[in-house]
Amino acid sequence: MIVNLYPLKEFKLPVIAECINPEVFKGKSIEEIGRLEVWEGNKQRRLNELFKLEAEEAESSPEAPVITIHGDVSRVRRIGAGMKNGEIVVKGDAGMHLGEEMRDGKITVYGNVLGWAGSMMRGGTIEVHGNAGDYLGAPYRGSTEGMKGGKIIVHGNVGREAGAHMKKGIIKIYGCAGQFVGFRMKGGTIYVQKDCEARVGACMVDGTIIVGGCVESVLPSFTIEGLRKRVKIEEGEVVEAPFYLFTGDLTENGRGRLFVAKGPNPHLSHYEKFL
Amino acid sequence: MPVVKAVSCPVCGSLCDDIELTIENGEVVKVKNGCAMCEAKFLSHRSEHRIRKPLIRKDGEFVETTLEEAIRRTAEILAEANYPVLYGWSNTSCEAISVGIELAEEVGGVIDNTAVVCHGPSLLSVQDMGIPSCTLGQIRHRADLIIYWGCDPWSAHPRHIERYTAFAEGRFEKSAWRGYMAKIRSLIGLKKIRSAAKRLVLKEPSEIEARLKPTFVPSIAREGRKLIVVDVRRTKTAEMADFFIQVEPGKDYELLQALRALVRDQELEVDHVAGVPVEYLEEVVDAMVSCDFGALFFGLGLTMGGAKLRNIDAALSLIRDLNMRTKFVIMPMRGHFNVTGANMVFTWQTGYPYAVDFSLGYPRYNPGETSVVDVLLRGESDAALVVASDPVSSFPRKAAEHLARNPLIYVGPHMDVTAQVADVVIPSAFVGIEAPGTAYRMDHVPIPLKKVVDPPEGVLPDEEILRRILSEVRKIKREKTKAEAA
Ligand code: SF4
Repeated sequence: MIVNLYPLKEFKLPVIAECINPEVFKGKSIEEIGRLEVWEGNKQRRLNELFKLEAEEAESSPEAPVITIHGDVSRVRRIGAGMKNGEIVVKGDAGMHLGEEMRDGKITVYGNVLGWAGSMMRGGTIEVHGNAGDYLGAPYRGSTEGMKGGKIIVHGNVGREAGAHMKKGIIKIYGCAGQFVGFRMKGGTIYVQKDCEARVGACMVDGTIIVGGCVESVLPSFTIEGLRKRVKIEEGEVVEAPFYLFTGDLTENGRGRLFVAKGPNPHLSHYEKFL
Repeated sequence: MPVVKAVSCPVCGSLCDDIELTIENGEVVKVKNGCAMCEAKFLSHRSEHRIRKPLIRKDGEFVETTLEEAIRRTAEILAEANYPVLYGWSNTSCEAISVGIELAEEVGGVIDNTAVVCHGPSLLSVQDMGIPSCTLGQIRHRADLIIYWGCDPWSAHPRHIERYTAFAEGRFEKSAWRGYMAKIRSLIGLKKIRSAAKRLVLKEPSEIEARLKPTFVPSIAREGRKLIVVDVRRTKTAEMADFFIQVEPGKDYELLQALRALVRDQELEVDHVAGVPVEYLEEVVDAMVSCDFGALFFGLGLTMGGAKLRNIDAALSLIRDLNMRTKFVIMPMRGHFNVTGANMVFTWQTGYPYAVDFSLGYPRYNPGETSVVDVLLRGESDAALVVASDPVSSFPRKAAEHLARNPLIYVGPHMDVTAQVADVVIPSAFVGIEAPGTAYRMDHVPIPLKKVVDPPEGVLPDEEILRRILSEVRKIKREKTKAEAA
């Protein structure tokens, strides 16, 4: 089954709709789905008060339904939170906490997403064709349990602290990234194809960060390890270019690996005297 | 003339409690022991900017109204709102804040205090890392090394240095005041000699310069309390310091991480960090690890610059590392006199220190999402109550515009910018001058505030106003449920 959701109005208040989840829609009729509860500001509403719902039968019927949202839902939070299977497609912008703690399945956004997308994710895939906000894949405030698996692909830019506290999984950013990429990360891989603001890998203990563009600076608590001719991002994706390899963060006795492309970073050449 | 002793000063987070006031005809006429900021507040509480009557906006103009009418209108706005914000709280008593939180829960709103624009990032990092701290009394009596990072107490907390740190006469540590005076005198003398020498012997100024240069005795080697200042510019406090580190703007994080590495005896592969030579940092680190009891105070320069909350993360980690080698504590320099109290009361009642969202009926906390500035920047709220604060003049323009566009209620003593754009204005008494209460000093010590004079006629304290609004909101809700049932 494919369920199409059309926002009935331009949302002004924050909407919290964790029921937009294939797992929850599964086995329900369109009327039942319409009666699911959501919050708009401090008022409780039904899903069909905010969205027009349409169901269509797919030729090859997948196990869990596919949910397609047509329109701007940047005020709608927690879409696909905790989802375990199925697929969500958002044809517009999506709000905060998209796919929070998701375990499996796929979310595709053909627009931008706001903060905390893929927060504390454990499995599955999130693909964003626009930009992502701050704290991509990072845990919410006060928690130190970051991403534990899965894959996030962003084709645009991301805000600060992408992949903070990450333990496992992979984040690929084909645009630029804000500061503190991989803050306190403990494992996993982050790839930033373009430029990166300062403090990459601050306090990282383990894991790999690869920056293909220019980095503002490398923290003084990182030490240079060598030069590499190529770097592997994941199975079947290798970047062929010279990279500096740093390890750190020394202040946390870390052995995280930070690869920084040599070409776009002539200001780091003074490290070569230690090689 | 009656003199009231041991009054607490309701201005900054130092909450000095040794102020003496002379009262004449129900007004404060003389202030003893306070700094200039303290004096200004006590002497001007009856200024012409004072609001004396409740106001309601009708057809774009303010008209005077009764307190009952203003409270009824406030309660209606809040009870109807779908996502109201309740902001301010740092310049009022803990008792009033407590009622404010009840009100936020009742109307399903977002409640936030001024920490969101000052030490909010510090609180986030403290939750991540923990904080080794102590009371100011301990620092006064025992600390032999004081660090001020990104703050200028000489102008923002004028009596902080004299009462609690470098210039305080402690039981076990003596004041560094005399040393500082000697230093100033010698500097003035040096200047005089230099100008005289320039006038007399014009030939070899460079040689004279060399002779006049004081032989370098690292001040860290001398006895007594030491003062280190880290800031982006040479402030008045920096003038007094034994060591002054001028950090490149926005590079505090790099500097902190470098200091951490040095404290842990690790080698750095760079010569300069944040514009400071590593050799100099090594000297500073020597002073840090060789002290017996160090205290680091940090201000907005650290919390709001560059890496923001992660600066504090690094500062807390530095203190953790230092505590492996000596004793060190850390404390934020809180601005408003009861911002610490606001964080305390918020935490007692909701579990979180600021940015609490009650829209789902229970407290939720995620600064960035539930913090008032971000809510306003995204244009989500539809009504606001401001208590004892002036967000319209201090918030980013877009946030302030959104605040003014929606129904806005102001409770406070002054006709400030927020009051001028509000729809309902309710005057309140000055806590600590016209109303009693409790406030928390920056080291989390509760200090009682005194009532020394009566408020203007008909003007109530914040606590009482909020109680009346709360009961009116409850009444409206009851009426609504009854109407729906019928
Ligand atoms: S330092 Fe602060 S609390 Fe003390 S008198 Fe001055 S303004 Fe008041």
